[in-house]
Amino acid sequence: MKITVSINRKQYKTDVMPNRTLLDFLREDLGLLGTKCGCEIGECGACTVLLDGKAVNACLILVPQIDGREILTVEGLSLENVLHPLQEAFLDHNAAHCGFCTPGVLLSAKALLDENPTPSEYEIRAAIAGNLCRCTGYTQIIEAIEDAAQRQQLGSQRENSLREGRTKR
Amino acid sequence: MKTFEYTAAESIMHASEQLSRWSGSASILAGGTDLLIALRHANGSSPKCLIDISRIPELRGITLKGDTVTIRPLTVHAELEKSSCICLHAPFLSRAASMIGSPQIRNRGTVGGNIMNAATCADTVPPLIALGAGISLKSVRGTRRMPLEQLFTAPYATTAATDEILEEIVFPVLPTGATSAFIKLGRRNALSIARLSIAAVLEFDSGGKIKDARIVPGAAFPTWRRMSEAEHLLRGEIPSTKLFEDAGKAVAAAMISETGMRWSTAYKEPVLVTLVTRALQECECCRRKEQFER
Repeated sequence: MKITVSINRKQYKTDVMPNRTLLDFLREDLGLLGTKCGCEIGECGACTVLLDGKAVNACLILVPQIDGREILTVEGLSLENVLHPLQEAFLDHNAAHCGFCTPGVLLSAKALLDENPTPSEYEIRAAIAGNLCRCTGYTQIIEAIEDAAQRQQLGSQRENSLREGRTKR
Repeated sequence: MKTFEYTAAESIMHASEQLSRWSGSASILAGGTDLLIALRHANGSSPKCLIDISRIPELRGITLKGDTVTIRPLTVHAELEKSSCICLHAPFLSRAASMIGSPQIRNRGTVGGNIMNAATCADTVPPLIALGAGISLKSVRGTRRMPLEQLFTAPYATTAATDEILEEIVFPVLPTGATSAFIKLGRRNALSIARLSIAAVLEFDSGGKIKDARIVPGAAFPTWRRMSEAEHLLRGEIPSTKLFEDAGKAVAAAMISETGMRWSTAYKEPVLVTLVTRALQECECCRRKEQFER
């Protein structure tokens, strides 16, 4: 069947078998290997992507269900080679160990910060509760997300003051 | 995953027509969080067609009209959890939805799927039954209405015909002076399947005596029902830990009389007593808090 979908801000028109999952479509058809295949039963969160801005397990979605929707994967997190504040913070806090859970955690964290730019530690923990890290580096992950939230706040404050400065002039 | 045909239904009628055309060999796809796992592990009996109902607009949303709340089945658990209407009028339903799966699952899994899949661990069902929810099932042949508890016949089995679609879930708001609680015992906090759960409502009179009680356990019985024996014990009484424990013992006794002594009974019996006691204590705590705030 034919579908049209936006993946990482790029439009795709394609003909797919309805029995393919979004995860297989991303990895095997599009070669977007950042999204990881872990348990394939929706428990590990390694395949987390954003569907219309909400964190979802790509292993539990059939391709026909993404027709007309927007998908964001870890490959679309940076903009024109500028890393997302979350990615910067993950680097600075050594929040990736083996790295297998990292793409999924980054997207769960992005969904959180988009909805709630100043989350508490508890809210961060709840937001990444569906992402298993078996290196158990959760502390660094949580610190990185806290830091990224602060960076985004500072970034938007700077942008606002620049904008105000411009309008004053 | 085996091959199957796929149809995106445009309306309830369209979906029902398609389902009757495939006479039992098609499955309904809504959130897909249970169905996709089943499709991937299917050996032999997988559906020949999926009827995707997830784009039918009339199956979405939560509305409050007078004292009646209507939840349409495509409402996902995250919406149920955050809905101001549910938080205000049925807080224990919001709490139950918030404990399902993970954020990712709650963004996809629907309340309709939770009900129609009829797993004994379905977390939205005990609070919905305690709320006295009714449902309507629609097909090309007409609409049937029934109390939610009459839908279920056994674990994973319902009285719904293959061409019937759950259209809505309706319940009256909790009366003023009533408080509610939902407690779930799982093996961990996130992504846990209920081993046992309790949905409870206590309604108090102006003097603080219990006017009415509703208790519905989850995962303890093959299907769900109100615990009339325990509820009877509570009515007209002054709340106390002893009273709540007695109600818990009545619930555990009902479980044993229905399911018999199993290898797990030595564990489940005292745990169920404790969960009931805690759920009722939480209701009582809420009452005191609300009284204090007033």
